[in-house]
Amino acid sequence: MLEARLEQAGVLKKVVDAIRDLVQDINFDCNDSGIALQAMDNSHVALVSMLLKSEGFSPYRLDRNIALGINLTSLTKVLRCAQNEDILTLKAEDTPDTLSLIFENAENDRISEYELKLMDIDQEHLGIPETEYAAAISMPSAEFQRICRDLIQLSDSVTIEASKEGVKFSCSGDIGSGSVTLRQQNNVDKPDLSTKIELTEPVTLTFSLKYLVNFCKASALSSVVTLSLSNEVPLLVEYAMGSGFVRFYLAPKIGED
Amino acid sequence: MAEEDSQPLPEELSDAGIEVAGETAKEAAKILPSIDNAKILKGETYTYHSPIPKSIQEDPKGEVILGVDEAGRGPVLGPMVYAVAYCLKSDNPMLREHKFDDSKKLTHTLRTNLLQTLTTPDTTLHRNLGWSTISLSPRDISSGMLRSSSSSTYNLNAQAFDATAALITAVLAGGVNVREIYVDTVGTASTYQSKLLKLFPNIAITVSKKADSIYPIVSAASVCAKVTRDAAIEVLVPEGEEIGSGYPGDEKTKGWLKRGMDPVFGWEVGMARFSWATAKDMLEGGGKSGGVGGGVEVVWPGEDGAEQTITGLWGGAAGGGWYGRSVHGEF
Repeated sequence: MLEARLEQAGVLKKVVDAIRDLVQDINFDCNDSGIALQAMDNSHVALVSMLLKSEGFSPYRLDRNIALGINLTSLTKVLRCAQNEDILTLKAEDTPDTLSLIFENAENDRISEYELKLMDIDQEHLGIPETEYAAAISMPSAEFQRICRDLIQLSDSVTIEASKEGVKFSCSGDIGSGSVTLRQQNNVDKPDLSTKIELTEPVTLTFSLKYLVNFCKASALSSVVTLSLSNEVPLLVEYAMGSGFVRFYLAPKIGED
Repeated sequence: MAEEDSQPLPEELSDAGIEVAGETAKEAAKILPSIDNAKILKGETYTYHSPIPKSIQEDPKGEVILGVDEAGRGPVLGPMVYAVAYCLKSDNPMLREHKFDDSKKLTHTLRTNLLQTLTTPDTTLHRNLGWSTISLSPRDISSGMLRSSSSSTYNLNAQAFDATAALITAVLAGGVNVREIYVDTVGTASTYQSKLLKLFPNIAITVSKKADSIYPIVSAASVCAKVTRDAAIEVLVPEGEEIGSGYPGDEKTKGWLKRGMDPVFGWEVGMARFSWATAKDMLEGGGKSGGVGGGVEVVWPGEDGAEQTITGLWGGAAGGGWYGRSVHGEF
């Protein structure tokens, strides 16, 4: 059986919020490393991969590996019944038909228990190749979200240009064009507000803004986002959490110019 | 006009009975010069121009009045027909004698008879009244309205205006001395009037509501449009099929759409206007419209033009052997 206790229900709420526009039905794979999921959107342009490490739970008990087939819309409904500060416990049998979610509110000694019906989801996993990226940019996640939301008003795609000087996000559409450039900068007082670029060679790629704006819903999970780019491979957008991550991969557009 | 139009036409169905009306329309379809079976079935838009009437040929300087009206703007089925009718201004009383009126106030038989007379040589009508129609096919209406980017959509009003302008231009090009134009309004009368005035600055243009019952020349256009559209429907609808009024609110029409729908391709392009919400919802079905219809969800992988896929990129990198490997290998 599975028993996993999460100090803050908010973490799972935010994770589900971040991915539910990309996929509907998904397997939560529970094994010794923790609870993981991986899924592609219908058009196979984007992939999301998430891990909540077992260390993030206290306790984390698992007798044998199980897959919890979950409809994210349904899970969202149940998670709405939890407050961010509630303690969340997930429980399931070895061959589960349902997932139990227990929310404990320490403040007023309330215990809420929900059972969510599970489904059989036939899902292939994609082995994600090890990649040496040409450029890795880490920046405040709020900044990245703002840039994507601003630029999508002008165009449905953005060109990301990483060079030694900085990173430039540019787009052009029917009404005109726009660009935002961030220079490398180190904020000593607030490291989360720094922009860092690790570069082996300059790289310029174009992506669909619709997807990026979607990914940005994960900004609530982490104040820092890392964008990793190389030619001919999908962009990696990573939100790291204390004990886990949400990673989005997005195939670049071709033939834009 | 849109409001009037959006009502089914019960009085028409009851006055002659569907069978009789169907028969006369079938007869009309055979002889009407404004009906082109092949083009209607293929879903092509086409135009018909009557010869210039003798009375106008004999008096080329005489002042001519021209009326514009339409039929089949609201229905989800069949073409939208715009018609112009024109005659010497001095012949206007002749139209009243023939009892031209708003096509909806005339019975089906009366309308068909009027057009039959009009197309029969050596009748007063044939000698004096010229007419043209343009039948905008469901295919063309829908593809205009459904263009992919909202900035380039060609909405129904714009299509209607261009059709009207094209008909008038063609009549003028034939050397007809049109001095006055009467149009049944589409939308706000004043904006429509000023748009037409820009194209035809030297002609007195009157755009008004109910023009089809006020001005006999508009009534004549209205009859030409209505009979042409009804005949086109007869060409399109297979024998014995019940399509109702053709308006999207009509249960019979909806029933016909549902029965005849191909889950992938929908309907014959000459028949149904895919851009009408009724048709669109049925065909999309299962999607966000909540499964109203039985349409199959169609995924267009190349829709964004140049999107690569994750599987394509990594499949190449991993030699295509990515199937079945557990994601947990990664951790």
